[in-house]
Amino acid sequence: MIIVEYIQSIFLLIAAFLAIVAAVGLVSLSENMKNVVYARIHIIGIFDVACILAMIGLGQFLLAGIYFIIAPFTAHAIANGFYKSEDFENNSSLNVVSDEVDDSNPFIHHKSKIQDLENNDFSEKLKTDDRFSISTLDIIEEE
Amino acid sequence: MDILIISKYILIIAFIIIMVAALRASAYRTTSMGLLGSSVVVVAFAVALLAFGDLYNLTFYKDISLALIFFGFVGTVAFVVVMGGDK
Repeated sequence: MIIVEYIQSIFLLIAAFLAIVAAVGLVSLSENMKNVVYARIHIIGIFDVACILAMIGLGQFLLAGIYFIIAPFTAHAIANGFYKSEDFENNSSLNVVSDEVDDSNPFIHHKSKIQDLENNDFSEKLKTDDRFSISTLDIIEEE
Repeated sequence: MDILIISKYILIIAFIIIMVAALRASAYRTTSMGLLGSSVVVVAFAVALLAFGDLYNLTFYKDISLALIFFGFVGTVAFVVVMGGDK
């Protein structure tokens, strides 16, 4: 029985060590790092292994088996939710701006309208329009 | 003092440390980090409760920790679905 207790305590000590390592890594990662959420999910994987070892050390084998199955689902679900809704760095579909423009706003116009205006050649219209006339004044320097 | 009891106390202290670290990490600006931190806190509390119940002969501690782990998983997945993880 003493050997079993030693094995249990070794499991618990390894779990405690892994938990402290995961805690230090979780806090020490810089928030400005790229893909920091995925890195933290990876660190939580270490903590999950620590939990499984602790459950085995405490004699809860069925709970350890359940958590061994559940933990990857949780990590993958969080990573998937982050990618689909909040990851503006990697997911390009989140950066698309909608084409809907409010017509009542006088300062914002649709891009195609502006392009049509730019493509129009106004020089011919200006020539034929009677309202515009070009007058030149000759200035002679001697006068 | 028995080495098993000492290692259980060390385990409880380590899990309290990671609960504090997870609370700090859950204050990060995205919703996913809050979700991750809260799920870590729940699981750490459940395993610490296992060790605590083993030490002090608490009643129903295994059932409580099983419920915490299982429903914590269900809540996390439900929140991810609400966030848009199933698009």
